Amino acid sequence: MSSTLMYFLGFSMIYILMAWSIYLPYRVKHLHFLTVATMAVTSYMGGILAVNFGWSFVPTLLLSIVIGALISYLISHTIGNAPTFTVVIVGITFVFIIKTVIENTDYLGGTIGLFGIPMLDHPLIFLLVFLLVVGYFLYRIEHSRIGRAASVIFTDEDLAKSMGIKPKQIGMLFQTISGGIAGSAGVFYAFFVGSLFPDFFTFHLIGTLMTILFIGGYTTMWGVIPAALILRGIPMILPSSIASWRLLIYGVLLVAIIAIKPKGLITKNMLWKLLKKR
Amino acid sequence: MEFFIAQVLNGLSLGSIYVLLVTGFNLMLLVAKIIQFAYPQFVVISMYATWAVLRATNNVILAILVTIVVSIALNLLSEPIFRRITSIKGTDINATFVASIGLSMVLVEIMSHSFNQGFPISFSDSWVGGSVFRYGIINISRSSIFAWVGGIIVVVAFFYLLYRTMVGRSFRAIAENLYVAKLFGIPIFKTSMMSYLIAGLLGGFIALLLSMLIGTASPWLGESVALKVLAVSIVAGLGNLKGGLFVGLALGVVESFAIGYVAGSWSNVIAFVIMLIVILTKPKGLFGAAVE
Repeated sequence: MSSTLMYFLGFSMIYILMAWSIYLPYRVKHLHFLTVATMAVTSYMGGILAVNFGWSFVPTLLLSIVIGALISYLISHTIGNAPTFTVVIVGITFVFIIKTVIENTDYLGGTIGLFGIPMLDHPLIFLLVFLLVVGYFLYRIEHSRIGRAASVIFTDEDLAKSMGIKPKQIGMLFQTISGGIAGSAGVFYAFFVGSLFPDFFTFHLIGTLMTILFIGGYTTMWGVIPAALILRGIPMILPSSIASWRLLIYGVLLVAIIAIKPKGLITKNMLWKLLKKR
Repeated sequence: MEFFIAQVLNGLSLGSIYVLLVTGFNLMLLVAKIIQFAYPQFVVISMYATWAVLRATNNVILAILVTIVVSIALNLLSEPIFRRITSIKGTDINATFVASIGLSMVLVEIMSHSFNQGFPISFSDSWVGGSVFRYGIINISRSSIFAWVGGIIVVVAFFYLLYRTMVGRSFRAIAENLYVAKLFGIPIFKTSMMSYLIAGLLGGFIALLLSMLIGTASPWLGESVALKVLAVSIVAGLGNLKGGLFVGLALGVVESFAIGYVAGSWSNVIAFVIMLIVILTKPKGLFGAAVE
């Protein structure tokens, strides 16, 4: 397999993981960018554990899931049922704080970056297996009582409360799970790329993930998969002079999709119709 | 003591800018019913316009005019996009927020690719202006005075408009309840356009004051400013204009103290940490939200 294709597939799968970690809390209208900060924390943690303490991949991954979920769980006590913007601002503020901390800590490589993280031998197989596990898990949540409760909260929170659903509990649960997924994505990223830079975990990443989520469609978990592949693929096909405008293209697409088809390209109703025809 | 006073004075000039930004942001939120995350980006683009005109012609009056025109034009041009989004059935205010983030990404990319090869720009000394008054380490620059006076004039004018004129009355009616306002015959479209116009005018002033006060601008300035503005508006309570005045000034003073007492690059974090703690303990804001 050519290295270009490997990088494309690997990055796409990491972006799908991250997009899922944003998709799940958005089921209850939480744009949970704390996941980007979590990804930064666990990727650096994984890098340090691997470089300085010789930890291997699997235990690092397991620990990162726990740490990621724990961070989100602790914060979710206060923003478990907060309005959308409050959740957004808490998330982005954390991203800025974590980035500044990394940039000013020599132990983490500062602005120069953290290098020499051992790379996985077969990253794509690990990623694919993990993606399938996470995908199955999310699918089960979607089709459970919790998933249906989340749909009610999304449509009408007061109605949900009157039906005995507790929005805060579900918000906290989704935020915690999404933290775990983001934690794992961080370690996968560290072991896939081999070097970490604080500049990666900024507004660019938030913008890219938002574009993937809203282009793909937030009403179903499947939308982000083609969206991640296409949006990661576009800059690779285009000549490099245009590809450097990648974020501009994403921004235009994001505005266009909200103005034309706010539910995204792939919606739940569309999938229903496809399945019914068979 | 001198050091303390110096920091307070610096903080107040920075705070006036935050107050103006939050006021513009809240105006869009209350009247146009959008979350305009790209509003600070419009301000930064207007600063680039100031810089470009000053460099090309060195004509101060022309630069001021162009800055204000650019800011108004950007705000008015964004109106059809947001009107289209809010008119789609089943969308809520979150959609305008997502779209404005997209808009913000576009503007950042344009700035980082097109102007000064993406490097930060800096304004000439004659634009920034020197010191007017000096006592020990207390140093009052011309730009600080502009920021204070400009801030006070604009805020007074804005509140006069809001509470003493017909337009302001329509603004408040729409902010209170869009449908009832419509029922009473308030021209929604015209009033909404008016709010974009005033936000644009305000943005132009902010761009001028900010370019004098900090003397530089970069494509990424807007992102951190936008985050601060949103954080201030949440800490004050979304849509709470009077709360925004207080919290905006407080943020300026806190930042100024952080810069004065904490080593270099860490100072940026202090204000964010404090605001984060406030948001986490009081998610609905210190003064109560006017918008849910």
